[in-house]
Amino acid sequence: MRFRNFIVALVAWITLMSAGYAFQRRMAFDDDEGPLTLPSDAKEKTEYTFARLRYPNFRGGSGLWAARGNWTVDFPKADRQFVQGVRRLSRIHTRSVEQVVDLESDDIFNYPWVYVVEPGHWDLPDSQARKLREYLLRGGFLMTDDFHGTFEWEIFTASMSRVFPDRQIVDIENKDAIFHVLYDLDERFQVPGIIMFYTGRTYEYDGVEPKWRAIYDDNGRIMVAICHNMDLGDAWEWADHPRYPERYASLAYRIGINYIIYAMTH
Amino acid sequence: MFEFLFNYSRTVFSKGSFVLLGAWPVWALVACILLGAAALAVPVWRMRDRASGRARGVRLGLLWLMQSMLLAIVLLMLWQPAMSVATLKPQQNIVAVVVDDSRSMALNEDGKTRKEKALEALNNKGLLEKLGKKFQVRMYRFSSGAERMEKLDQWKVEGNATHIGESLAQVAAESSTLPIGAVVLFSDGADNAGGVDLETINLLKRQRIPVHTVGVGRERFDKDVEVTDVQTAARALADSRVSAVVTVKQRGYRSAKGRITIKTDNATLASQEMTFQADGTLQTETVVFNAGNAGLRNLHVSVEPLQGEENASNNTVTRLVTVENRKPRILYIEGEPKWEFKFIRRAMDEDRTIELTTILRTTQNKIYRQGIENPKELEEGFPAKVDELFQFQGIIIGGVEAAYFTTTQMELLKQFVDRRGGGVLFLAGRSGLSDGGWNRSAMAEVLPLNLPDKKGTFHRDPATVELTPAGQESLICRLEENPEKNAERWKKLPYLADYQESGTPKPGAVVLVDSIVSGKGKYPLLVTQNYGRGRAGVMATQGTWRWQMLQPLADKSHEMFWQQLMRWLVQNTPGRVVASTPKPVLDDDSRVTLRAEVRDRNYLPMTDAKVTANIIGPQGVAEQVELRPDPLTPGTFVSEWRAEKAGAYLAEVLAKRGEEEAGRDVINFRREDGVAENFGAEQNRELLEKLAAETGGKYYKVDDLAKLPEEISYSEAGITVRETKDLWNMPVVFLTLLLLKAGEWLLRRRWGVV
Repeated sequence: MRFRNFIVALVAWITLMSAGYAFQRRMAFDDDEGPLTLPSDAKEKTEYTFARLRYPNFRGGSGLWAARGNWTVDFPKADRQFVQGVRRLSRIHTRSVEQVVDLESDDIFNYPWVYVVEPGHWDLPDSQARKLREYLLRGGFLMTDDFHGTFEWEIFTASMSRVFPDRQIVDIENKDAIFHVLYDLDERFQVPGIIMFYTGRTYEYDGVEPKWRAIYDDNGRIMVAICHNMDLGDAWEWADHPRYPERYASLAYRIGINYIIYAMTH
Repeated sequence: MFEFLFNYSRTVFSKGSFVLLGAWPVWALVACILLGAAALAVPVWRMRDRASGRARGVRLGLLWLMQSMLLAIVLLMLWQPAMSVATLKPQQNIVAVVVDDSRSMALNEDGKTRKEKALEALNNKGLLEKLGKKFQVRMYRFSSGAERMEKLDQWKVEGNATHIGESLAQVAAESSTLPIGAVVLFSDGADNAGGVDLETINLLKRQRIPVHTVGVGRERFDKDVEVTDVQTAARALADSRVSAVVTVKQRGYRSAKGRITIKTDNATLASQEMTFQADGTLQTETVVFNAGNAGLRNLHVSVEPLQGEENASNNTVTRLVTVENRKPRILYIEGEPKWEFKFIRRAMDEDRTIELTTILRTTQNKIYRQGIENPKELEEGFPAKVDELFQFQGIIIGGVEAAYFTTTQMELLKQFVDRRGGGVLFLAGRSGLSDGGWNRSAMAEVLPLNLPDKKGTFHRDPATVELTPAGQESLICRLEENPEKNAERWKKLPYLADYQESGTPKPGAVVLVDSIVSGKGKYPLLVTQNYGRGRAGVMATQGTWRWQMLQPLADKSHEMFWQQLMRWLVQNTPGRVVASTPKPVLDDDSRVTLRAEVRDRNYLPMTDAKVTANIIGPQGVAEQVELRPDPLTPGTFVSEWRAEKAGAYLAEVLAKRGEEEAGRDVINFRREDGVAENFGAEQNRELLEKLAAETGGKYYKVDDLAKLPEEISYSEAGITVRETKDLWNMPVVFLTLLLLKAGEWLLRRRWGVV
């Protein structure tokens, strides 16, 4: 009996310790939704603003993020940390804080570059799909990020096919200007999210192979840049963390800056 | 009446000289008049004591004056005054009767043609017969030149042109060995060569041949619309908008509506309604059309005939426009990534007539090039060599600070506009215009504005736009064909994302668009001016991209505006060889002036070039013409040529220095026959009167020629004799004497000094 109690206590202690360790590890990364103070130049009028798309969640979603809305993942730290890099590494006149836009109002047309995170959880109604199509055809640019595997891809394309029923999603060739407009990005690899620290893998679900895909307009210009099976947002968000590998963060910044400059030149 | 009072016609007095036939000297006449006047003053002065108060002073002076005048006239008559005038010797002189043989003389007015009216005067009213009694009559008909005719039956009125000057010069030349005493010219004066040239007038004056002009035809039509001129560019870029400035004159349709149409041989390019202004005024309307694909366009510009119009054949004018297939290049350098850059590029992607090459500073040390012809092009950034920069036709300087350019690049940029004849456009930005230090740069002189002498002029605040009156007329700002709709469309454009304080326009600059900032007022937004051989412009915003993003996809305002602005920038940028002719459409005329301006690689005038024109024309015409240097304009070569056949001509002008080709250019021209006489068909009385006055002749109306046979006698041309005509017996002399004496008597009775 004593032995049994000892075993139970040991298991409970190990469980408690493990949970505590895991909690500490998680807390070390998971402050992306926490409130941040606004930088002093937050109201500066600039040429470029990092615009984040707020979208309705897929109906089958569950959990904390689904409740908050998956569009908020990494928000706002990833956005603010990324634009610091944009400011430092390019001549783009960039605002220090992001702008949240949606497809319900026309404000999105004032921001010709929009970032959408976890579109593997979005569900655009027809009206919003129409507006997104109009936005893109007028010259807007959409960058998608942080969705993984077949299941999320299906959800992503379900809405995207309402935006462009007649346009194909294709792999971007290495020679495309988007990979050379500032940095030559011939050597690309999978940029993992922080889940790598729990799983030890750089991929999620069955999204083993990173995919750089796009939807082009009739003049061969990319309108929708699709970063599938990678998590650039996490790389931006944790670029300042000593445990997040620099090589992933660097590539994520280079991709992001290239995509902005591409959008401002094509 | 004149002849009743003075015994002779006015011509005697205007052509003759006054003489005194008496044997006594003239000074004796003057002395007698002065002595007589003094003698008359004595009794008049004595009259002063006897006269009542009313007859003193000025009144007595008047009486003395009247008496003295009477005495002076009587004394003058004693000295036998007369007019000495040269007159043609009967039957020893030739009178040339020159009749207008052009088609306008066949116009029917009031039931008779102009020719019939002239024939009536010549035959039925016996003018020819009367002239024949005094002179030998020699008849000519003329249109583009004079031709002898034996009988009036040979007068056909089928000529396609009226060249009065050339024709009279021919008659005068023929008369150099003949005693031609005068010319009688029957014409409506509707000259197509621009009037009688000074050389011909001087020739006639030297030979002292008076030209008596007889005006035939109505001086004013009751109901007519005429297209008097159409001004349009001789060259245009493919798909570009071209304006035609149509000048219209009308009579009898004031306030009525008309319609101007512009057609090619097989399609209508534009149609625009107009309201006619006052009768006889020249009214201009601007019609805009699309030049379409590359090729030669025959534009038929017409006002649709109205009901009751007397002459509908003067409603259409033809012009040539060569739509070029060249693709001018514009180099756009931008200092930082911006949305305007993207959307300008996208607008130009849709324009297949202009190539846009861009340099974008992405980082402090990196540039991104687009639209380059090879990987090496612009590798070092903005060109620093003349041939690299001058290969472009236009330059756009975005938000790049002036200090980014070296002194050499800055000088090249200036010469690009001044000497090369290119266009340069400055855009706004954090480092644009004054904020980029351009107000203190070498390019400040080229800019159409005096930029503010301060920093902080660029504002990321909304601004609306407003067309100025010049902007409403400008092709750059034409988003709609209809001017009213265009102005409305500009008012509805979304606000600009930003604006820049641009300063004050220089004299000669044209402000096309203003930006309006709430609470701050108005700033010139789009301003242009010519500088040297080229042109410069300022667009003081980088925020027109909102016109694209904030308007429906189908709206093309943004694209059209930028495409038109770019065309303005490069359309008139010349190549190294520029060929031209002042009149691409020759209406019943064969004379062509070919002109070529030739420049070397640095666009300096090339004076030692060999310039030839290979001309291909209708019915197998093929000729090579050498153009010779114009001594007054270095680098310019000219030649005169005759297009003998009607139809379309093409001239390829080639310039060479030694064996090296400097460049080549092509011009088109066209000779059209049977057109000129349809225009300006009203009698040009002013020209006929002036011709008569200049040569010592007189203008007559065709139905008032009774005095012509006599007055024509007074001429100093041909074989003449001087006649003296006594003046003492003129009724006007006796009447004057009678009036003076009767007047004096009446005044003396009235004033009580009888």
